[in-house]
Amino acid sequence: MLLGNEYYLGVDVGSVSTNLVLLDHEEQVAEALYLRTMGRPMQTIKEGLKQLRAKFPQARIIGVGTTGSARQLAATLLGADVVKNEITAHAVAASRVHPGVQTILEIGGQDSKIICLRDGVVVDFAMNTVCAAGTGSFLDQQAGRLGIPIEQFGPLAVEAQHPVRIAGRCSVFAESDMIHKQQLGHSLEDILAGLCQAMVRNYLNNVGKNKDIRGPVLFQGGVAANPGIRKAFEEELGQEIIIPEHFAVMGALGAAYLAEEKLVRAQGERGESRFRGLQVVDTEFQASSFECAGCANHCEVVEILQDKTILARWGDRCGKWSSGKGEQRSASEVNAR
Amino acid sequence: MKVGYPRAVHYYDYFPFWAGFFRGLDLELITSPLTNRQVLEQGLKKASDETCLPIKLLVGHIQALSGMGVDALFLPRMVSVEEKTYLCPKLLGLPESVFASVPEGMGVLTLDFNMRQGKRRVIRTLEEFAEGLGKTGAEARQGFLLAQNWQEHYESRRHEGRSFGESMGEFDPRLAGEAGRTIRFDNPDRDESAAVLTVALVGHPYLTQDNYANLNLVAKLGERAHVRFIEEMEPQGIEQGLQGLHKSVFWSHARKIMGAGASYIGDEAVDGVIYLSCFGCGTDSMTQDMVARIARQQHKPYMVLTLDEHSGEAGLVTRLEAFLDMTERRVQRESNFSAHG
Repeated sequence: MLLGNEYYLGVDVGSVSTNLVLLDHEEQVAEALYLRTMGRPMQTIKEGLKQLRAKFPQARIIGVGTTGSARQLAATLLGADVVKNEITAHAVAASRVHPGVQTILEIGGQDSKIICLRDGVVVDFAMNTVCAAGTGSFLDQQAGRLGIPIEQFGPLAVEAQHPVRIAGRCSVFAESDMIHKQQLGHSLEDILAGLCQAMVRNYLNNVGKNKDIRGPVLFQGGVAANPGIRKAFEEELGQEIIIPEHFAVMGALGAAYLAEEKLVRAQGERGESRFRGLQVVDTEFQASSFECAGCANHCEVVEILQDKTILARWGDRCGKWSSGKGEQRSASEVNAR
Repeated sequence: MKVGYPRAVHYYDYFPFWAGFFRGLDLELITSPLTNRQVLEQGLKKASDETCLPIKLLVGHIQALSGMGVDALFLPRMVSVEEKTYLCPKLLGLPESVFASVPEGMGVLTLDFNMRQGKRRVIRTLEEFAEGLGKTGAEARQGFLLAQNWQEHYESRRHEGRSFGESMGEFDPRLAGEAGRTIRFDNPDRDESAAVLTVALVGHPYLTQDNYANLNLVAKLGERAHVRFIEEMEPQGIEQGLQGLHKSVFWSHARKIMGAGASYIGDEAVDGVIYLSCFGCGTDSMTQDMVARIARQQHKPYMVLTLDEHSGEAGLVTRLEAFLDMTERRVQRESNFSAHG
């Protein structure tokens, strides 16, 4: 049983956003933060913790889970108990907040995925390939081009009477197609709705290809805030799309649940967290990289330092740096820049 | 005379054959280094933009040979290795398709290897090739026997389940020391008690066995699962997997991948199947989907990983982890079910 001031922390550091979730003693979300990563994950994580500390000065963090593309970095900074990929984290969160969910549609800033669950277990999944068509950043970019705030994109699209047809295969073609439709005099609403439909078609054809999409269907990730996309999904799939309350931070929520699972289920009683404490906020971290000269691979090794002590290294193929934490490197082993 | 053999494309299947043949001719055959960043970068620079990753790697390996003091490069045109099948069109285009990227001054030795024309013609071709190098027909026939012998030996080692590094290392000394080197991850989440899975990694051996090109996939997979390969599948297993197809697959590799993949899907000891492919592969574009259909029918966890020259490791690791999590949870659930009757 958790005390009132004890929390599990889930952190999802993605390319576009960094999300933090505090899970309280009743397994409820006490706080959810959605911050823009802005290409500076370390600072953003610290900023998030700072905000949490200001709001919950009494909080005791008793377990930490990290996910997202910078999950390893976040885990090193914070001292995480669980480091999990985004797919597992999203699936865990979805099945906890909506038991019985069979399909998860997730569209984030730069990637999108589909996860199929049966009886609470992931049975199939897919992620988008290198192409970013059909992800949040494309919508962001087009909203910017049309001069409308991204928040108004969805509400306007829902107003459309006759959505225009836009080629959604590729974001570059979609853009030129859209400009063409604009010049012909179609209304803004119809174009936005057309864009939503194109994106959904593209998603279902690429990411959702060959997937058995059964309800209940949950739609999560930042793009779920856009009612235009939700409507397009409902029309295309012919079924209701559920948007969970904390749709934007489901990855972080899943990471928090995983941390709880890991620490509580260990021995029936609670294990000790590796969390380094909220004072991490005041600690100076440096990230640097160097090129190893050990062999022809010239691996780019990333090094995370705290006050000149090496916390972690990664990026090497052979493991000589990542396994030998704390060892100083000599000049001969490193290529001059 | 020192002849160089690039460690690329058909090296991963037929090197023992050619090593045996050159031994029979008493010529030194040396291999290029294991794929590394420099090899890949050189390949990307010198190869045609439109070709597939394996051919780009081949071009990189040819460049790597130029600094090793070889007198010539050996690059056979492998047309067919067994009845009623061909190798892929890009391999048939060798060596001409990479002539432009062969360093100046390096000769290219080549011959057509075509089993569809029968063994006698193949031996005749080998004799002519040997005579061109100042050797005798008898030496060529001797070489052919040794070649077949070594190839069979290699294949039977693989069927026994011995690793690629160990089996190929018998013919390629450079490999012997490198096999089994793994990468370690500092992951607090690694649960030692987790169910150990068996995962079949199907795909062209030049992808599944090139640890640089596949971003160390086998070692990463090996942390949580036993890994099976198509080369470990005996011919009967492959035949069995191909049953029920409307039409026979006439590319050797595609046929092997398809048959072995289907057999692994039907094998209860295999918990999941990963198809490793690369951008620009014509035969994979068909077989990966055909294998997917079989996996879906039989409810076997299945995933396609596609490599290209700018594959990020992060994307690969995420997919791999998620796939293993999924498969582990499924195995655990299934064992729970049976325990409750």
